[in-house]
Amino acid sequence: MKNITFICTCFLLMIPFSVLFAQNDLEQLIQDDSTAREKVSATFKSTHLINAQSTETIHKKELEFRVDHRFGDIAGGTGGIGNFFGLDQSTDIRIGFDYGVSDKLNIGIARAKGATAATQLYEANFKYRFLEQTTDNAIPLSLAFFGSGTISGVKASDDPAASTSYKNFNDRITYVSQLVMARKFSPIFSFELIPTYVHRNYTIFGDQNGIFAVGAGGRLKISKRMAIVADYFLPFRDKTKKDYVENVNQQKFYDALGVGLEIETGGHVFHLNFTNATAIQESQFISETTSSWGKGQYRWGFSISRRFSFNKEKAGGY
Amino acid sequence: MIQKIVLSLLLIGALSTTAVNAQNTFVSNGATVSFFSSTPLEDIEGISKNGLSALDLSTGAILFKVKNTSFQFKKKLMQEHFNENYMESDQFPFSEFKGKIENPDKLKSDGTYQCMVAGTLTVHGVTKNYTAPVKITVNKGSITAACTFKVKTADHGIEVPTIVIKNIAETLDIKVAAIYNAKTR
Repeated sequence: MKNITFICTCFLLMIPFSVLFAQNDLEQLIQDDSTAREKVSATFKSTHLINAQSTETIHKKELEFRVDHRFGDIAGGTGGIGNFFGLDQSTDIRIGFDYGVSDKLNIGIARAKGATAATQLYEANFKYRFLEQTTDNAIPLSLAFFGSGTISGVKASDDPAASTSYKNFNDRITYVSQLVMARKFSPIFSFELIPTYVHRNYTIFGDQNGIFAVGAGGRLKISKRMAIVADYFLPFRDKTKKDYVENVNQQKFYDALGVGLEIETGGHVFHLNFTNATAIQESQFISETTSSWGKGQYRWGFSISRRFSFNKEKAGGY
Repeated sequence: MIQKIVLSLLLIGALSTTAVNAQNTFVSNGATVSFFSSTPLEDIEGISKNGLSALDLSTGAILFKVKNTSFQFKKKLMQEHFNENYMESDQFPFSEFKGKIENPDKLKSDGTYQCMVAGTLTVHGVTKNYTAPVKITVNKGSITAACTFKVKTADHGIEVPTIVIKNIAETLDIKVAAIYNAKTR
């Protein structure tokens, strides 16, 4: 009798195991064996951080309308309550359209006010994302190339030493080449490095035409739809030429640093940012930022972008 | 003596269950899972053709699993938002249904049946009970199942920001279709 009890107990003990086993069986049958590598999505949420380009592109047949705005100095000599902390002024405004030729290639046109002596800017640009980070780290980085050419429409200056004393059309052009190298380190943190070459066909007397610079930028998610973004550019200038131009201008060159809050609301991304750079164009803020955080010469800026998809869909923007 | 009888009975019982199990397991590797959100402003549809499912006819147990990143949309930006903002696929990569078909015995012979399936659906890390009618067709060892049910985004803790509240429906129509083949081991 004792034995029967024992066997029965054993059996009873085994029932849950066998049930468990059966369930595991089903789960084993449908285990996701697809080790298919996936592209890491949303390294950044927008095609730009603040001043810097990101590796993100808009998708095929999408049109992005983007408005960037930089106000006047919040503090410092020209800031304060007198111009309502910079809100009475705008140092630069850029209105641009980008179009997705493919998921990897974007082309764009833009008009910007321009924050240096060179104003009335017309820009044509492209961005080609040629490598995308994968989830299995077989490709650890995303790489994109950004190139732009900008024409200044400002009336040529009579002062032969001025940066806008253009002699012919060619003088009005500046070029920017950037290699954007980004990695999404975790779902909340992405970082990028941007080796940059800016070439200005014409400069103020004594300045260098070509400038190498390196930019760095990052994005840290603080909530599902909000992130802190920051970027910084370090230009490598010829010391003697820099000193000479600074002396002539009675103005020092500073590195552009931006910090901002990125808020995503459905179809568009809203940027609330602060930067010492007055200009929005790469060719200007990298080479000619003369305002300093230390002197209170930082400004509020924002950018609003809205994407429209033309991918065989009746409804307008998403 | 009694001991031996009990023991052998138990053994036979145990062996026969496993045998039945093996014969009645069905697997589907390319199940279609889609959801549809319709508002006057916008229709949003996501389709995955990579759903995985297993079915045990002897118990009626059914398991359904789909990778959230496998859903495809007409607009790529929707897919990005779906994974990033709504499903949070980094944290919750799969949506899963574990349930039981009621009265699985009638599925032993060929034919088309209307069955009820009850179980738990885990989406966005939130598990909820569901009961839905399923149309099951058994034909020479292969099984076709189709099911339509509704899911409220709020039930699974998926927040829709007020700015797009008119673009995304509160209740989504979910469609599931799978073709199962017998799993031979």
